[in-house]
Amino acid sequence: MDHAIETERLTCRYGRTRAVVDLTMRVPAGSLYALLGPNGAGKTTTLKTLMNLRPPTSGVARVLGVDSRALGPSDFARIGYVSENQRIPSNLTIAEIEAFCRPWYPTWDATLATELRERFGLDPRARIKTLSRGTRLKVQCLLALAPRPRLLILDEPFSGLDPVVRDDLTTGVLSLADRDGWSALLTSHEMDDVERLADHVGFLANGALIVEEPMTSLLARFRRVEVALPDGAAVPAQPPASWLGFSVDGRAARFVESQASPAADAAWRSVFPGAAIESGPLSLREVFVALTRSIAPDAGERR
Amino acid sequence: MLPFSLTVRPGEPIVEQIVYAVTRAVVSGQLRAGDRFPSVRTLSQELKVNPNTAQRIVALLVEAGLLAVEPGVGTVVTNHRQPTAGGADAATRRSDLAALEERLAEPLVVEARRLGIGLADLVEIVRRQWKRLDQSR
Repeated sequence: MDHAIETERLTCRYGRTRAVVDLTMRVPAGSLYALLGPNGAGKTTTLKTLMNLRPPTSGVARVLGVDSRALGPSDFARIGYVSENQRIPSNLTIAEIEAFCRPWYPTWDATLATELRERFGLDPRARIKTLSRGTRLKVQCLLALAPRPRLLILDEPFSGLDPVVRDDLTTGVLSLADRDGWSALLTSHEMDDVERLADHVGFLANGALIVEEPMTSLLARFRRVEVALPDGAAVPAQPPASWLGFSVDGRAARFVESQASPAADAAWRSVFPGAAIESGPLSLREVFVALTRSIAPDAGERR
Repeated sequence: MLPFSLTVRPGEPIVEQIVYAVTRAVVSGQLRAGDRFPSVRTLSQELKVNPNTAQRIVALLVEAGLLAVEPGVGTVVTNHRQPTAGGADAATRRSDLAALEERLAEPLVVEARRLGIGLADLVEIVRRQWKRLDQSR
């Protein structure tokens, strides 16, 4: 199996609104894949469909080689899923919920569970209902990671958490990352965390995937460019399509090059002969902003 | 423990930040020629970055000539060019100088002039920074 997850022309409709449109995505086996996109892009719907929490309207999703609609208990025993919408029995203590989950997972690793509990600073006697949101999320992550799943699916694991908790979760996820044959898919808006954690990126916009590639190639492809315009310099009325967010502010022209290469470099210089041109790398956060701004807003019509 | 220090600036590219931190440690002598450099696995765990990202950082540092992969040993710090060594040939030195001037010296001079700092003071700042790096080892 080359892909932990693959979808083909997956479409999900809520009434007349299409949340996901013809989505074809591939999560390579062994990768830590971040599915990004602005609010309402269709990320959570995609994850719910993958987990068979809702059926696709059309198209197919295969998870660990199994059609999502056919996923059964033995498949779910190999998948860890963490979502904010998940309910966990709030009257149980952490130790009780661990004991409750353990028999469902043949691969449950008790040593790892203890290690994570200590790393996350969790008291096994604490009752779920007394825990803060961040601590509850740590419990969910512990329950998802302890079975050493073949596939981990995390829906917004970092949202609203303080930096220390986010750091703990990152460490927890990475502690599984050097194991072979292990894959993860996550959605998040915490771009700094994603930039560290993920090695593959998919970018969803209006329910469609517009970018899917390794993190290193994505970050190498985007560059911030600033041109100091000489006197009387002409500015292109129609900048090349690979220039995102082209703007002129006084004597400075700025844009984000989305296809950086020596050839693109030569193109800047031919458009602005004799100008001083500076360029630099972008963080994932800046790439996200540039991509999001470059998308035509969804007309909001019932597609 | 990592043999270099890193202060993460949120919102800036993580790979470049780490490459810079290592470069700083090497040129200041905090890391010396022949020192073992941490494995990709250690880097990944300590820096909390994906193993592939750690791999890319090492590759960039090898490409920059600061690290070398020695079979059977691992990654080690190389004997990078010392300012007095004069190892590089004249043409390389000229193009390095030109690149440095365009990329970093110009913005430095522009900023100094904006703040009304004179040439003598600017030179003094550079001199002090040069010494401070030597003391940080």
